[in-house]
Amino acid sequence: MTTVIMRTTARIVVPIVLIVAISLLIEGHNLPGGGFIAGVLTSTAFVIVYIAFGLDFLERGVLGRDVDPGKTPSRDRVVVAYRRLFTVGLAIAVVSGLVPLALDHPFLSQSYIVLEGVPLYHHLEIASALAFDLGVYCVVVGGLLTIISVVGAE
Amino acid sequence: MALQTLSPGAESTLVIAPMLIVLVAAVGTLLLGTRPRARAGVSLAGGAAYLVAVAAIDWYVVLAPDAPGAATYQVGGLPAPFGITLVADGLSAFMLTMVGVIGVASLVFSIRVLPELDRRSYYFPLFHFLALGVTGAFLTGDLFNLFVWFEVMLMVSYIFVAYYGGPQHTRAAFWYVALNLLASAVFLLGVGGIYATTGTLNMADLARRLAAPAAYGIDPGPVVGLLGLLLSVFAIKAGLVPFQFWIPTAYRAAPPPITALLAGATKKVGIYAIIRLSFTVFADAQIGVDLAIPAVGTILAGDSPLAFIGAVLFVMGTASILVGGLGAVGRDSLEGVLAYSSIGQVGFIAVPVAIAATTTVPDVRHIAIVAALVYALNHALAKGMLFLAVGAVRTATGTSRLADLGGLASRSPPLAGAFFIGSLALVGIPPLSGFFGKFLVFDAAAQAGSMSVLVLLLAGSLLTIAYVTRAWNRSFWGQRTPAVDDAVTDPVQVAVLLALAVTIVAVGIGFEPIYRFADAAATAALDTDGYIDAVDPNQTVSGADGGNVDAGAGAGEGGGGGETGMGTEPETEPGTGTINTSNGGDTP
Repeated sequence: MTTVIMRTTARIVVPIVLIVAISLLIEGHNLPGGGFIAGVLTSTAFVIVYIAFGLDFLERGVLGRDVDPGKTPSRDRVVVAYRRLFTVGLAIAVVSGLVPLALDHPFLSQSYIVLEGVPLYHHLEIASALAFDLGVYCVVVGGLLTIISVVGAE
Repeated sequence: MALQTLSPGAESTLVIAPMLIVLVAAVGTLLLGTRPRARAGVSLAGGAAYLVAVAAIDWYVVLAPDAPGAATYQVGGLPAPFGITLVADGLSAFMLTMVGVIGVASLVFSIRVLPELDRRSYYFPLFHFLALGVTGAFLTGDLFNLFVWFEVMLMVSYIFVAYYGGPQHTRAAFWYVALNLLASAVFLLGVGGIYATTGTLNMADLARRLAAPAAYGIDPGPVVGLLGLLLSVFAIKAGLVPFQFWIPTAYRAAPPPITALLAGATKKVGIYAIIRLSFTVFADAQIGVDLAIPAVGTILAGDSPLAFIGAVLFVMGTASILVGGLGAVGRDSLEGVLAYSSIGQVGFIAVPVAIAATTTVPDVRHIAIVAALVYALNHALAKGMLFLAVGAVRTATGTSRLADLGGLASRSPPLAGAFFIGSLALVGIPPLSGFFGKFLVFDAAAQAGSMSVLVLLLAGSLLTIAYVTRAWNRSFWGQRTPAVDDAVTDPVQVAVLLALAVTIVAVGIGFEPIYRFADAAATAALDTDGYIDAVDPNQTVSGADGGNVDAGAGAGEGGGGGETGMGTEPETEPGTGTINTSNGGDTP
């Protein structure tokens, strides 16, 4: 699949996909979108990179690390990072649910504040649900990419 | 309009406490990564905290003299019937206690049974997620949420069935996954159908609407068929015939402590769901449809779908008793015997439930539910303990094949003693917990005046004696085999087994409080009005016109970002801790 066309397309498409994913994540609390779909879209961007440039491209080309060809895929440093992302995301989601308990509100209660007079934005709405969405996002990205890179390597 | 979310009281927070404890324990063990000792410590602390939380629910919600009998929790502060309601009443508390005891025992056992390599993987986080799924299923008051907890439970059990990764484990897991995916699809279909029919998925709201369908402008006819779909899904979980075939392979494939939990806890989720939906939710339904099978006669006359459920469950239950009992007699490994035995034992739980559903006498119905619950408790304790004992035998000898075992009783008397007590409890010898379970089941059958049921139950009991005796004779008595000669039992494992054995004896000797608890649980299961009052699905919707059906219907089901207030208006004044709901509030 690593034709010139594929690689050129990937260069253009991947940033767009990532930006759309992030916008879906940020507006997900009251518009269509949210952590799950943003996570799936982000994973798609990574999959395009994997297809166009190969499984080792992230480590060798982007992070500049050496790749040991004989390694087991599940102990790969990138995969370990994916798994850590999964765990951290889960922790974020749980903690974001627990915080309202400390403030004497039910588990998973959400609220929001509107900031006026923010430079550039003027009017910015910050929802607590974003924290939960961020957790979901990390879980989905971490989980999907772990599966894709381990199964893809086998 | 801004709606101040109610700050949950202490009792209310107690309802969600067990769930939060296992959730935090799961994430905690996951974060600790490759530090096995710390992981085990966090796991044990979580288990202990879980027991404390469940005991607190038992006392403050159900058993204390001035206990309210039921407590509810609205997740995210969204009011019923739109938000997810958690309900802890007698039935849920009884089930949670059962799971707590067997869960903590198998957790302690796990720490000793699994070699170092196993413990480096995700065993403990998965264990807690399994407990989370079971706990959530017992506590939720929302049908769709029940589906979600079933999935949580299933995802984890898939991994556990495939845990050792050998060919037979993979095969078992494949069957297990295929069957349960199908079951999940059917479950979802049933849930969707019920929502389309009644316009709600909150169990209390559902019970209220089905009791007076005309007032809500719904036609409840399809509910019988949909309930049949749900029933078959729960029967798969409980392992009732004809859905029993996954049990032996799956139970043999999973690690022993997990098998104890699968037999002791997740099976009971199926039973719990049948009891909860049949008696609390659908008992008062006014169906207004007659259903007749030409050869059998009318199986559903007019009102409640209970008669239909009873007939189906009765056939499944008796078939399970026979299939399980006969199957267990011929198995060649301890796990095989116990796996078939648990098919038969679930039959013993299903038959009283069927009696409760078919009878029209309130007292008999009550005693039958008590019988089912006490039997379920006995099965959870005894079968859980026996599966753990098999785990201990495997740790000590490296095998559980009857042909390779023999003379274990002289090699390790404490282990043999524990297994003996568990077997006797299964048979139902006084003064163990099993005696009261069997006694109440027979009592319920006698009170219902059904001789044929009594004969069947008796035959099932004789089969129990036969296979238990055979397993005992082959593995604990007789000539010592080489495997048994080299056996070294693990002291902690044996201690766990002995603790469970003492529990079984204690439950039998001090049966009075257990009976009171089961009695309260049965009362809660049958008290539809009390359940509706506790949940109070009228919190936002005033008036019972059908126009409110669609208002904010999506708010409760969102798994991800759906928990935010629907339709929040940015220009509203910011208010910390308030949920803005613009729908459902514009009543004239």
